[in-house]
Amino acid sequence: MMLTAESGTKSFYSDKLKRAVHLLLFRRGKMPGAREWEFKEKVGKNYEQVLAQLNELLSELDLEVKKVNEPKSEDMTAEGDHATVEEARYFVTLKGTLGSKEAKMIGWRIDNLAALSASIAYLVSKQGKAPREELEKLLAQKFGRWKAMTLVDVFLRTGYIEEDDAGTMSLGWRTRSEVDLRALMTKMAEAKI
Amino acid sequence: MTATEKKSRRGVSSGRKELLEIIQTCDSIAERKFNPFFLDVKLGVETLRQYFPLWEELEDHCLDAHAINRLSEVVRLQNTQLKFQSSALYADPEFVARKVERMSEKRLAEVFLQSWHPITELEQLTNGAVAEALDYWNLLLPIEERWKKREYVQGVRPETADSETLSGLGIRGKEFGKELIAIWNDLREVYSIEKKPIDYWKFVKRGAYQETVQRAFYVSFLVTYGYAKLQADGDQMTLVPNDEPSEKAASGAVSFPIPIPRED
Repeated sequence: MMLTAESGTKSFYSDKLKRAVHLLLFRRGKMPGAREWEFKEKVGKNYEQVLAQLNELLSELDLEVKKVNEPKSEDMTAEGDHATVEEARYFVTLKGTLGSKEAKMIGWRIDNLAALSASIAYLVSKQGKAPREELEKLLAQKFGRWKAMTLVDVFLRTGYIEEDDAGTMSLGWRTRSEVDLRALMTKMAEAKI
Repeated sequence: MTATEKKSRRGVSSGRKELLEIIQTCDSIAERKFNPFFLDVKLGVETLRQYFPLWEELEDHCLDAHAINRLSEVVRLQNTQLKFQSSALYADPEFVARKVERMSEKRLAEVFLQSWHPITELEQLTNGAVAEALDYWNLLLPIEERWKKREYVQGVRPETADSETLSGLGIRGKEFGKELIAIWNDLREVYSIEKKPIDYWKFVKRGAYQETVQRAFYVSFLVTYGYAKLQADGDQMTLVPNDEPSEKAASGAVSFPIPIPRED
């Protein structure tokens, strides 16, 4: 049940909102954000309503609460998600986008962003998976062999791509959380050379 | 052993081989090395059916079951690809590769930035992290102690070198051009006496290894600059001096490394 401020129970919600925002913004483990069960435990059964209210508040700051399903199955569906859902994780992400100057200010080099863009687009075109050699070959044509190898390692470390034991690369948790794949592929197709 | 038995054995052997090939192809497809439609699943199933009556051992039946399992995986991947191709995310990998190759780095980065919504988070120190840092600090030896552990040898300190030392080391000597002309004249003289191409090793080799290397070094420049021709015929290499250095590089000139063995 959604409670309102007029009913005099605003403090109840603001307390839950605080707990939710703490869970979302302060990193506790290896990955940012919080899992569904953590919200159920610390915010309560109606955590989805709390998150919806928090989302409204954050939208004024150009932020939003994003729900990302952690994959169980390995294959990407038409929506770019994974077919079978095990559990959801919530993050706070930027609602809008960053300019190139802002991206530089937060520590990204333009050539690294270009390589990340190329890597993700290529993996999407290969249904989310490709052998490491293929990806390195693609990047090496543009950025040189040694840099390509370093870049792939950087993207692996930062969680944008993942590698299995067979050396097959796939989209990482961070790509699924941060990148609008549909927009990326559309912009890539539209981009004038 | 009857002819029928022999034939049957050959069938079992080739059947195993074919099934293994099918499994390997399916595995490659699952690892995204090939397109799922690269494999004709119907043909694969027919192959399994063809060899199925020959299987008698458990291992062969397991191989057959494994092949069926891998073929079904390929069918699933074909289904996924068809769904993917009908979605808005579909793009041909070749098309993407061409785009990446031709787009500027700046444009590629812009495309990414327009679809990127980075996660907002605050990194913080937790009790666990502080405890770990304290343990590390407490176990850390003072820097003097750590330096003591490093074994290092005091090397020779830098010194100034005079002209004689440099000449002795072969760093500074006669002017390069003059030395080259001297070697050229030497070659021409030997050629005028012998009236035939000069054996490379006979010309280059001297008593000291260092001197041999030095002559080989200059001869390589004589050949490169067109002062002489190097002709190789099997193991035999000969030198012929030119009267005038040719200005143009010889067409079809190739790099020709000549190892100089050190003789004990």
